Amino acid sequence: MNPILTSVPPYVLLAFAALAVLALPRRSGHAVAALATAFTFAQAVLLGDGGTGAHLATQLFGFDVVFLNVDQFSLLMGVVVGFLATAAVLYAYGTEAPTWVTAFALIYVATTVGTIYAGDWLTLIFFWELMAVTSTLLVWQYGGAAVRAGYRYALFHGIGGTVFLGAVVVHGASMLGSVPAAEIFLFSSTTGIHASATVLAAIGIGVNCGFIFLHTWLPDTYPRPHVAASVFLSVFTTKTAVYVMYRAFPEGGMWLAYLGGFMAVYGAFFALLQYDPRRLLSYHIQAQVGYMLAGLGLATAVGDFAVTGGFAHLFNNVLYKSLLFMAVGVVIYRTGVEDIRDMGGLWRVMPVTFLVYLVGAASITAVPGFNGFISKGMVIDSAHKIHNFELLFGEGLLWWLLILGGVGTFMSFIKLGYYMFFHGSATLSPKDATAFQTAGMVLAGGACVFFGTPLTYTYLVDLMPFTAEVAPELHPYSASHLTESAWLLGAGFVGFFALKRPLGWLAHHMRDIDAVTYPAAFYLARGSVWGVTELWAAVDRWVMHAIATVEWIGMHPRETLGRAGADVEIRTGIGRSVLFLTLAAGVALFVFVLG
Amino acid sequence: MSDVLLPVAIALPLVAATLPIALGLKYERAGWPVAAVATTALAGLATAIGVEVARDGTLSHALGTYEPPIGIELVADELSVAVLALVAVVSLATLAFARVAGPRGNAFYSGYLLLVGGLTGLVLTGDLFNMFVFLEIVGISTYALIAADRSGASAYASLKYLVVGTVGASLYLLGVGYAFLATGTLNMLDMQVQIVEQASYADPLIRASYALIVAGLGLKIAVFPIHAWQPDAYQRAPDAVTTIVAALVSTASAYALIRVSYTVFTVDFLAANDAITTVMLIVAGASILAGSALAAMQSDLKRMFAYSSVAQFGMIVAAVALANETALLGGIVHLVGHGLLKFGLFLGVGLLALGYGARELDDLASAARSAPYTAGAVALLGLGLVGIPPSIGFLGKWYIGVGAVEASMGGGDPAGIGIAVVIFVSTLFTLSYVARVIERFYFAGVGLSDGHGDGSHGDEHGDGSDHGVAADGGSESPSAQTTDALIGGDEGNDSPLTPVAGAPRSRFVPDRVPPAPLVILILAALTTVALGFGGYALFEWFDPFLTEVFA
Repeated sequence: MNPILTSVPPYVLLAFAALAVLALPRRSGHAVAALATAFTFAQAVLLGDGGTGAHLATQLFGFDVVFLNVDQFSLLMGVVVGFLATAAVLYAYGTEAPTWVTAFALIYVATTVGTIYAGDWLTLIFFWELMAVTSTLLVWQYGGAAVRAGYRYALFHGIGGTVFLGAVVVHGASMLGSVPAAEIFLFSSTTGIHASATVLAAIGIGVNCGFIFLHTWLPDTYPRPHVAASVFLSVFTTKTAVYVMYRAFPEGGMWLAYLGGFMAVYGAFFALLQYDPRRLLSYHIQAQVGYMLAGLGLATAVGDFAVTGGFAHLFNNVLYKSLLFMAVGVVIYRTGVEDIRDMGGLWRVMPVTFLVYLVGAASITAVPGFNGFISKGMVIDSAHKIHNFELLFGEGLLWWLLILGGVGTFMSFIKLGYYMFFHGSATLSPKDATAFQTAGMVLAGGACVFFGTPLTYTYLVDLMPFTAEVAPELHPYSASHLTESAWLLGAGFVGFFALKRPLGWLAHHMRDIDAVTYPAAFYLARGSVWGVTELWAAVDRWVMHAIATVEWIGMHPRETLGRAGADVEIRTGIGRSVLFLTLAAGVALFVFVLG
Repeated sequence: MSDVLLPVAIALPLVAATLPIALGLKYERAGWPVAAVATTALAGLATAIGVEVARDGTLSHALGTYEPPIGIELVADELSVAVLALVAVVSLATLAFARVAGPRGNAFYSGYLLLVGGLTGLVLTGDLFNMFVFLEIVGISTYALIAADRSGASAYASLKYLVVGTVGASLYLLGVGYAFLATGTLNMLDMQVQIVEQASYADPLIRASYALIVAGLGLKIAVFPIHAWQPDAYQRAPDAVTTIVAALVSTASAYALIRVSYTVFTVDFLAANDAITTVMLIVAGASILAGSALAAMQSDLKRMFAYSSVAQFGMIVAAVALANETALLGGIVHLVGHGLLKFGLFLGVGLLALGYGARELDDLASAARSAPYTAGAVALLGLGLVGIPPSIGFLGKWYIGVGAVEASMGGGDPAGIGIAVVIFVSTLFTLSYVARVIERFYFAGVGLSDGHGDGSHGDEHGDGSDHGVAADGGSESPSAQTTDALIGGDEGNDSPLTPVAGAPRSRFVPDRVPPAPLVILILAALTTVALGFGGYALFEWFDPFLTEVFA
């Protein structure tokens, strides 16, 4: 079984499925798409721990490359991406997504899967750049405001991708000499990316992770395309980036952990200020990625437990984040409203959606019984052990950042749920989710619950790397965890209703960093274009003037000599011709005979 | 028996040269028909000789009852056949132009046939002294033809050529005399043997002989700095004379240089005397650069292409001095190709002068609109001169360049690379002056007359350009003028090309030029392109000759 499974690169199937979606009628096309994504899921599950290894290894341009690198990490990514993509295809079918959206989404999933299963930096960067292209296409497909946002998205990812490409090149160049030249790009040759490429890799991958100041594309882009497209976009790019971050820095680093902590606070805080539901969720992507990075960053300081926490959070986040985007998407799809202040009282008319939203919100806010509780708990537990900068109650800065982020998350999801489903009387009376939307949401939501209950959470640990070491240490339903969770919940409720008005005021006055960076980039670009143009014009004027001078001198050689003060005849008359001839013959004789 | 074709080919035009004068006693216009019949017959003979050579290899004929090496030998091999074919074709084709453009009169056609006979003899002779005789016949008939329109300027140009040309021929004769002194023979093949047997390649007499011959032929070829007769001669001669002289006279002299260098002195002599080849390469390089730069400065079309010839023959001399197979093949291909290109270019320029009175670059604004076929053919030939493939101009330059690089490979002389660089620079210069011509043809004078037909051309010409702009250029005109100023066009004379009174009109083409020469011009342009595809065939054809001299 395994040899057959490992000979099929799933992304090739997905790419063909994307073509099938375009070629076939809508219904059968989506069926093929769902089958292809389900295959990706099934392949990863069936391969399991027995199928690890570097498959489809070959040589390209004289370098060893691995097209299907199966290990603990790529397997868990394959499981969750395949599973969620299947749910998302069902959802897209139920949301009347145009076939082009599904096709682009599938090709985007294909590149994501390619990135995940890459076994060397060359293959990885190839799929990484393709991901940027395919996701941009997915954004652009919607037209309207999505086009301009898509341009900014493409710019961000183009620059990020180029920086990362630079990192790969530097990595390869630095590896020369220490391993055979053909193997310089293989993952198996090193742990992580070469130290000389650290900064480039961090920035390049950081763009996709949504590092603070590099994150503005996130809330800018994800609210704009088709709601089904948002579901795909929201989970693949950022989560793959976290996965690649681990590939590059398997030993983590405190810089990564603290960056993650600040991202959690920053993202949650700005999420609180949003009224566009998808924009709010986009900020939460940044916050949640912060938790994952905090976990990965503690790989050395805390150990495999933290890494597992980060990956478990990644795994769960894919499920509940897309679930939230699905739920919000249903509301937008049914009402056409994109401002939560214009919604309200929807829980009566959209009970299924409301229920699904509750599951998603409970998961992301780490309510016991849902999967977020398990993984976020693991990350926070790891942060417990860090005491670089001690603050209140003997806890370190990192822990407080993550807790603060958690409170912010609570507040913003209370806010989102309150405005969408309660707040005031129902002015809209839309229908509830369609059957296929429900199917997609039930798949994702079911997984959220399945991996969170006290009885079944161990399956999550089984899927994770380092199962043997982590499982004995993991006690999510201990009293201390439950208390912690209750405090968070309470703080969130109190916080939201106490700060509702100040937050509303702040939402009008607080702008994100893009208020500065976008105009700055725009004027910088305009200035440089002007500068280059003017410089070129100056060079051009100078060159043309010089040419004109040379031409004039060429055309009026005698006048030029006259101006220089030598008024002589420069034409060769008969006498001078004979003189030249004689001289030439003389010189020839002299040289030829004596030479 | 077929070797008797050789003396017949030489005698035919020489004997025919007497007919126009003799018949002229009775018929006023006997010259052209006689010349046409003679050159057609020569073309036939050249074809026959070519077929013989292709079939049996080198063809030789002993004149009179004296056997070589005492007697005079006539020889036709692959190289001489190629140049002979060029002579026959060009002399026949030029007649079509001479008929409409003049000069008229029986004496002109006598001179014309004398020139053709001299060229044929020069190409076919196998004897060094006999070569001098034909060189003089060519020279003297050329002096006469250049002055054929009886203007002061052409008389001066002719006199200048007469004086320096005679000195040059004398130098050649001196050189031959030295060689005779050293070897006691005048037959080329015999001398090749005798130089080794009775003298040596280091013999001062032999070296001096080669120096004098190169100096003399260098003048006839017109390499810098002894080119001064050539631009005057080409510019001042009647258009039909320029066409044949530019295509054939220097070409035949360069043929003589190749023949003397490789058949008489041989490649071993060149290899044994580094100083000689180095000096020749330096002179050739200077010629290429100076000729191209001077050409780029000219505003008179004929003078421009005259200087261009100085540069192109510099390349051929360089090919001779590089002394390797690739370069020599390039030199020979360029010799023939350049002859064709210059024939076409001077014919085109002559046609524009005949139909439109345009002799300066500035007169040619929008020539492509009034004379699309003429302008198109000239542009095509000009691009061939630059060396843009596919054209025979590219092939020759390419082989010379490759040969130059080859000569420098493997620890050779750096002069080869120098020549390659010089050829590249010269190509840029060539591009610059050809581009000026094409710019005039196709882009200058925009907005001066926007397609109101022939009638409005005359009006505008009378009113001056400003009025023309205001009348129908409208709002376009300022931008048109700015564009023109930017691309370096001379302001002022941008009035479109106007046909001269009585210019011929054709039903088929808008060009106001005589149809027969126009057809020949277009054929010439197409031939240069067609030959450009024949690189391998040319290599095959010249291979026996190259194998022989590099054996």
